[in-house]
Amino acid sequence: MLKVRIIPVLTFNGFGLIKTKQFSNPRMVGNPVQAARVYNSRGVDELAFIDIYASKQKRSTNLPVIRDILKECFMPVSIGGGISTLEDINNLLKIGADKVIIKKLALTNPDLIKEAVNFFGSQCITIATDAKKYENGYFIYNEFGMLYDVKEFIPQMEDLGAGEFIVNSVDNDGLMNGFDISLILQCEKLTKVPIVAVGGGGLPGHFTELFSKTGIEAVGAASIFHFSQYTPNDIKIELNNNGIPIRVRV
Amino acid sequence: MGNVASVQKALNYLKLENEVTKDAVRIEKAKYIILPGVGSFQQGISNLRKDGLDAILNVQVLDKKKPFLGICLGMQLIASIGTEPDECEGLNWIQGMVTRLQDTGKRVPHLGWNNIEVHDSPFFKNIPDLNFYFIHSYHFQVKDESCISATVNYGMEIVAAIHKENILATQFHPEKSQQAGIQLMKNFFEYFA
Repeated sequence: MLKVRIIPVLTFNGFGLIKTKQFSNPRMVGNPVQAARVYNSRGVDELAFIDIYASKQKRSTNLPVIRDILKECFMPVSIGGGISTLEDINNLLKIGADKVIIKKLALTNPDLIKEAVNFFGSQCITIATDAKKYENGYFIYNEFGMLYDVKEFIPQMEDLGAGEFIVNSVDNDGLMNGFDISLILQCEKLTKVPIVAVGGGGLPGHFTELFSKTGIEAVGAASIFHFSQYTPNDIKIELNNNGIPIRVRV
Repeated sequence: MGNVASVQKALNYLKLENEVTKDAVRIEKAKYIILPGVGSFQQGISNLRKDGLDAILNVQVLDKKKPFLGICLGMQLIASIGTEPDECEGLNWIQGMVTRLQDTGKRVPHLGWNNIEVHDSPFFKNIPDLNFYFIHSYHFQVKDESCISATVNYGMEIVAAIHKENILATQFHPEKSQQAGIQLMKNFFEYFA
């Protein structure tokens, strides 16, 4: 039976780890290479690293740091931030990234998503879906002034060959107040490819709620690991106790 | 392409001398051959043919019986026929067809940790937790069931590992499966030592 995946999502600025609240107020939370080493020793299911300012600052991500991060990891790793060409994707895959996480390119140059899928395979193309709630539904949070409904965005990306979606609730980001269940319920109907829910996980019970109320099989979280006593394993124990299929360390 | 760096990292961890090459002489000299790979079947097989690697591999693996480990696409490419995206011939070492995962009632790709069911096989000893990391949208329908050494359930039974003589191949990624994967690779090298 497929196990649900618990994925620490580490956001950084190219050098240090940072954590935002509702996509603003970044706070320094440590060293990415050290964090990778710790999560590797804990045997986590998967890791995601996202350079959240690379695109905004019009730079590529810091490849030497990414290389040092990947050296520590014997589990699957997704890397995102500042990807604007096929060469950027190739550079990350070449040094051992398993998947790349793409957002800006999906909004500004969707044709390149299709090219990337044809070239590298859909299994390594993950689309970041940062969803913000408005009165008339969820829209993709972006700095380009684009109005893009999540209901249109996800099926369009699936058509282009996306292999996975990271659905991040902008409203719940960093608040540790629970996942936006209605967002995830809406998204899981929009696509047949795997979804990772992110945004709001603050207590082990939030994770049980997510997997009980939705049919998805992966979750990402950050604040709970930075700012609380809970580790990925504590969440796994909680899920296991609630009968949710999980890989528990033996 | 793709997971080569991760396979190298795992080999370095096991302190095994290794190199990435398409050079016939280097492959001839090697004691073991690993074919990793992610991407599409057609792209993969045409890459092999472009460099004449299909002929080199045929000689080394089929005639000289050099131990071979195929991973993910590297397992699929040894099939007779692939269908990704269009029908095309594979290396044809193990008879069968690679087709898209359909009617599983599940999300595709099959992505994440899943426990395998081991049929009688020497390669899975000393692995207490048989969860391995999978990421694939196509699966290998193997004709000769005696070649199947492990299966996995994902809405249907899927071939997870194949063993025939000097050939071991896995649909999952041992290089990404932490202790379980490292131990499997160790078992492969020890079995054919």
